[in-house]
Amino acid sequence: MAQRTGRNVDYAGRHLRFGWWSLLVFLCVGFVLELLHGFKAGFYLDVTNETRRLMWTLAHAHGVLLGLVHIAFALCLRVFPDLGDGHRRVVSRCLMGASVLLPGGFFAGGVRLYGGDPGLGVAVVPVGAACLAIGVFLVARGTAAGEGRRSAAGAAPPPARPASTRPRSR
Amino acid sequence: MVDRPVQVTGDGYVSSDTCRACHPAEYETWRGSYHRTMTQVAAPDTVRADFDGVRVDAVHGSPMALERRGDELWAEFDDPGWEGPDAERPRIRRRVVLMTGSHHQNIYWYATGHDRGLNVLPGAYLLAERRWVPRSALVLHPPGQSLAMLDGHWNAVCIVCHTTLGRTAFDTPYRSAPFAEQAVDTTVAEFGVACESCHGPARAHVEANRSPLRRYRRHLAGNGDPTIVQPVDLDPRRSSQVCGQCHSVWEYYDPEDERRASRDGLPYRPGDELRDTRFVVQPAVDRTSADIRALVAADPEFVRGSFWRDGTIRVSGREYNGLLDSPCFRDAETPERTLSCFSCHTMHKTPDDPRTVAAWADTHQVSAGMDGDEACLQCHEPLRADPAAHTRHAPESAGSRCYNCHMPYTSYGLLKAIRSHTVGSPSAAETAEVGRPNACNLCHLDKTLAWTAERLDAWYGVPAPPLRDGDRTVAAGLRWMLAGDAGQRALTAWSMGWGPAQEASGTTWMVPHLGEALGDPYDAVRFIAARSLRSLPGYANLAFDFTGPRQARVDTAVRVLREWRASPAARLRREPELLVDQRGELRVDAMRRLFDARDRRPLFLRE
Repeated sequence: MAQRTGRNVDYAGRHLRFGWWSLLVFLCVGFVLELLHGFKAGFYLDVTNETRRLMWTLAHAHGVLLGLVHIAFALCLRVFPDLGDGHRRVVSRCLMGASVLLPGGFFAGGVRLYGGDPGLGVAVVPVGAACLAIGVFLVARGTAAGEGRRSAAGAAPPPARPASTRPRSR
Repeated sequence: MVDRPVQVTGDGYVSSDTCRACHPAEYETWRGSYHRTMTQVAAPDTVRADFDGVRVDAVHGSPMALERRGDELWAEFDDPGWEGPDAERPRIRRRVVLMTGSHHQNIYWYATGHDRGLNVLPGAYLLAERRWVPRSALVLHPPGQSLAMLDGHWNAVCIVCHTTLGRTAFDTPYRSAPFAEQAVDTTVAEFGVACESCHGPARAHVEANRSPLRRYRRHLAGNGDPTIVQPVDLDPRRSSQVCGQCHSVWEYYDPEDERRASRDGLPYRPGDELRDTRFVVQPAVDRTSADIRALVAADPEFVRGSFWRDGTIRVSGREYNGLLDSPCFRDAETPERTLSCFSCHTMHKTPDDPRTVAAWADTHQVSAGMDGDEACLQCHEPLRADPAAHTRHAPESAGSRCYNCHMPYTSYGLLKAIRSHTVGSPSAAETAEVGRPNACNLCHLDKTLAWTAERLDAWYGVPAPPLRDGDRTVAAGLRWMLAGDAGQRALTAWSMGWGPAQEASGTTWMVPHLGEALGDPYDAVRFIAARSLRSLPGYANLAFDFTGPRQARVDTAVRVLREWRASPAARLRREPELLVDQRGELRVDAMRRLFDARDRRPLFLRE
């Protein structure tokens, strides 16, 4: 099997898989959090641990949301094969990074607390947020560029590229 | 809101709501404490008594009528300010706006309609008993003497320790003119004793810690924050003063101090030297200074109403005075070996404390594990190995508990006995000279003071003091009960209901004497005697209203005595010390002699 280069990586497939697995993982996290509610776990529910509860709830919510973002991104790549052309690798890495850093940072921030302040792990959250912002910006710009190209072509569908240069994205 | 005191932040105070965001654990334990609820706005969800169309007979004069109008509470009662004939005393209807107390009793304050001035309802509500009582019955107060009019009393007096940074804001000194002629614009930083009462004003702390970088530098360094006072980190003497700002008997040095405090609130801030801004009364060491002589000249009962004759505090809520006279504090040479309030108490329940916040608050905020001998053993470690060698009591018995011997129940307040916070050793001499009950006889109520003196001599080499004949022939408990002042009678009656004393002394012999106390002229003594009597076998359902008609009270006392006489089993202890002769009859002559010798000087204990 030939090794894939940056040009012919199957980003749509990668993000589709990542998104669904991510959804599964963070839905399970949500299930665990519900169990903690169900069993009235003091280390999660006590008022003195409300920062932990907030952090872990945010970890769960961001994980699920980012899973959906990955799926949406993958579906967009299928619908608009040119989407983010040229930045696709950066977008992919940003979204992957955000998926790790945002929920991971919130979770780590809830492990150890300093009174009402979360633990130091929360420091990676802004980095994850920046990754997400960059990724979303590049995708948004890509959609605008794609729209521009379609307008220039009289709203006709983009011409098919020669098979040798066509990206492998499906 | 113009007819009652209101909360106004400022002067660096930001209120506990601001503290909550960063200190949720501390906030939560404080919120569950009775400090928070020292004063609350009276509302259906804060008051414990039912106001919904209730008629209260247990007040002086005509019954009080209570009414709820939506979220407002109203009361109709006899006008306490009426100066004409009693028969013509008019009724007034007022809105109840504030409430003090939430642990043992609710005292309700109504808007007088004069500025922000308050006055107190004629009835108060006892929480454990779930009943109304006349306000005057809440305190140990001479019968037949009416309490002072309390218009403006909350604004001028209660506010000091029942709120955070209270500004009484009277235009002239309280009581220097008729209340109706004084302008009153009372405000507080916060109702109740809140975070800033103990940590000081927090605005600078809040501003400094808006920066997350600063906060995390502090978290990681693990050291204190100089922008706020942590009482537990202060020197033990200064840290105890934080509590002592309220838990002490004190006065202003001069009238100008009172004027400034009225305008700006008390000047003391946690960490300050308390005595710089107020005179802490300590008669045990100071009976001759100009300050205390001035106090006594203005109010001859000032010392007697709060202290035993030797200057030891005898009322509740003034534990700092007790600490000041304790050797563990007074004579300590290093901070590490100095007793402080925080040696035994904590203002925030710690995470390792298995008790609920409510249980912790209910037990006077004693730290985890400090409700027993550990409190003393943290310094007196050598006694741990063989406590019985020191206590001369079985190791697991109440007589081996440090508290019971060294912090006996010799303070009075809240219709019960409170542990003395003057840590000391039992002394027959002090009892003989001062009248303060000693720990031995508060448990061994059936023994004479001479018996105690002999044991203290034999066990600890304390020379027996010269004693009166009665101290050799009559049980100490009965001497206090029959001949003591109202405070001694209240303490003894309470001890007769105390489990360890009942176990050590037996109970059957107590019945006629508690029965006799049902007729005591002091409301508080009757209340306590009835409660103790109900704790004795066979008397749990005793029907007795301590504020009821005198004849009904006497009838109950006679019935109790008759029942006791009719029961041979109850009269098994035929001991002259217990004033029971060999035939099992009460030694009425001896009782009468003690009764005739009773200390009848009017006593108002200023808890």
